[in-house]
Amino acid sequence: MAQRDDSETALVAALVARDRDVFATLYHQHTPGMIRFATRMTRNRALAEDLVQDTWVSVLDHIATFEGRASLVSWIYAILLNKTRSRTQREARQQSLDAAPDGSDADSFDATGHWKLLPALWDELTPERIVAGRHVLEIVNAAIDDLPDQQKTILLLRGTHGLSGDEICELLSISAANVRVSLHRARLAVRAALDQALA
Amino acid sequence: MLTCKDVALRASDLVDGEVGRWDSLRIRFHLAICAGCRNFVHQIKVTRDLTEDVTETTGSAPVGALTQDADIDAIFARVSPRDDTDNGSKTKQQSVE
Repeated sequence: MAQRDDSETALVAALVARDRDVFATLYHQHTPGMIRFATRMTRNRALAEDLVQDTWVSVLDHIATFEGRASLVSWIYAILLNKTRSRTQREARQQSLDAAPDGSDADSFDATGHWKLLPALWDELTPERIVAGRHVLEIVNAAIDDLPDQQKTILLLRGTHGLSGDEICELLSISAANVRVSLHRARLAVRAALDQALA
Repeated sequence: MLTCKDVALRASDLVDGEVGRWDSLRIRFHLAICAGCRNFVHQIKVTRDLTEDVTETTGSAPVGALTQDADIDAIFARVSPRDDTDNGSKTKQQSVE
């Protein structure tokens, strides 16, 4: 941890000094993942690229205020997420932990906790496979697009390189338990969509 | 004794390796005797892998080095000039939009 803090402190100092080479390294390392994330959140590649550029400008403009309470990557993604939400005029819907998730566990079990209907064994699923007239990837994309904001955000961040569970907690200011519950619910929804297509 | 509902609730944690040793043993014992739960955990694993494939491939059109250099130039052109009078002074970490 101390080693990470030292290298990150040096990185931040270089960014405050507007070191172009150091910034370029950071830019090349994170921009592809940021564009992927923003593209999925906005469903618009061109808008995503603009948001990522705006984010980098804000990073350099405000890097002197970064105190290291979260990791630098978490801070960068927090800026990107704020800009994405502002631009798309979405508000993060607060997901009640008491609310039953869609197509969820609660409906699938009898009073003794056993499956009402046993889950089927799926045939091998690859992203390119055609199921019910659509590529598996299209089904997954559509299911992700329909997720509530927090579930979608966490699912996408989880699949983005470089962000650990702790960094997602820091970025969204929610507990690790909340992250895991939202992630599970998101996966349940995508799983339900795939299961329906395979039926 | 774990029920199928108990196992289903931990399925994401299990495929992500986020379950402690004792719970993992209990879950794996249940999976050994319950085909329904084995299939469900497999479905969650496949779902996880597919969602990671999606995030990997979406928006990943390659960008040439020249374009990236031009993008970096454009960023620096927009950044506010450094205020050297603030060097060394700590300010509260602000919420940035």
